[in-house]
Amino acid sequence: MDTEGTGGERETPARRRGQGELEAQVLSVLGEATEPVTAAWVLERLGSGLSYSTVITILTRLHAKQAVTRTGPKRPVLWQPVANEAGLAALRMRRLLDKQSDRDAVLAGFVSVLSADDEELLRSLLAESGPAGGPGDPASGPGAAPTDRPEG
Amino acid sequence: MGVFVYLPLVLPLTALPIARLAEQHLHPRRAARLLTTVAVILASCSLVCLGLLVVVGTAQLPGNPLPDGWSDDEVREAVPHDAFAGKASILALVAVTAACGFTVRRHYRFRARAHRTLAGLPGGGDLAVLPDDVPYAYALPGSPGRVMVSTAMFTALDPAERRALLAHERAHLEGRHHRLLLATRLAGCVNPLLRPLGAALVYSTERWADEEAARVTGDRRLTARAVGKAALISRPAPRGAVVAGFAAAGPVPRRVAALLGPVPPDRGWPPALTPAGAAAFVAAAGTTVSALSALNAAVALFLVLEAATTTPL
Repeated sequence: MDTEGTGGERETPARRRGQGELEAQVLSVLGEATEPVTAAWVLERLGSGLSYSTVITILTRLHAKQAVTRTGPKRPVLWQPVANEAGLAALRMRRLLDKQSDRDAVLAGFVSVLSADDEELLRSLLAESGPAGGPGDPASGPGAAPTDRPEG
Repeated sequence: MGVFVYLPLVLPLTALPIARLAEQHLHPRRAARLLTTVAVILASCSLVCLGLLVVVGTAQLPGNPLPDGWSDDEVREAVPHDAFAGKASILALVAVTAACGFTVRRHYRFRARAHRTLAGLPGGGDLAVLPDDVPYAYALPGSPGRVMVSTAMFTALDPAERRALLAHERAHLEGRHHRLLLATRLAGCVNPLLRPLGAALVYSTERWADEEAARVTGDRRLTARAVGKAALISRPAPRGAVVAGFAAAGPVPRRVAALLGPVPPDRGWPPALTPAGAAAFVAAAGTTVSALSALNAAVALFLVLEAATTTPL
């Protein structure tokens, strides 16, 4: 649970390890704030010998990942988290999962990608199978025949 | 050893019929185990024979550390086309080793990274729910294994369907499907002719997990609906176009159709007079011949090399 005490046993270069961890720390500090805060506030709360520019860099990076928002051009710039720690974990996981070849080498996914034909076949199978087509069914694609849609 | 040293390199072809037919005619659990066993044995035999060829090939290289007698005419005559095969096998073995090393390394590195990422997530247990608007669900092997599901996937399914999804992912973890998949993937690295078995195994493990989910939830139709819904909300990735065209009916519709059908019979061996029975027989025969050929070649080379070493120059 402690974000600062970890990192003793990892052997990756400190720099690389630092990035993800610093992002997590900054996000957790931002999470404590009740309103948008300045970078200086974040720096003060972090208090781990970081420079102001490092904090700005991390905040900018988080902004690029859409994990934080910033107020407009007015000074001082205020920052607010979009995602908390769970959100950051999700962002990192997405980045891992986006490498398709790596992902396929390890993970058994629940479903694979559907082709257009598959989609049509699947819809008709599900329609035959019973009442629930599902509320979330997006009728997408020009190929979907409207007459096939079951109406209750 | 003659041609026997080459046989195991091509005998994986005998496993292709069962790779095609297993999914329709065998219980997925049995299909997965059969495919893995066959793939591992055939790959091992290929590797043994590749190793033998490498020994013969290396002995001919100038400045090699092997005994001089090993490049004698008697040794070279034991292998048809020894000059070409010897050199080619050295390259092949290097490629195989590199591919296997890369595969294993990638597997464990991805696992470690994913576990580390999940460690930053509040809340324990085997289920990790990730706030993400891209729908996905995966089983992440490890000790303990984790099931990771995005919130987008969760919210799209109703509670009963979520249970089916979790049962499916947990079946992957409990069945240790990743081991079968990794073993077969490595087999495909050793001998590319075995790759279709890997593809068939991916499908078999999915079906296996589907059947487990249907058993746990007690509702095949519900499980089918969960699979179908999950597939429909999963937007094709931009590069998914590459995947799209390779099969008439993709894996997901086949899985759903299978779940909507009856429970597959869990018999030991498909009846001999059916195509699947014949295919299983061909694969078994091919595997046996491959093992015997590898053994024959190994013993023959051993005897020839021993004779060459002890014969005074």
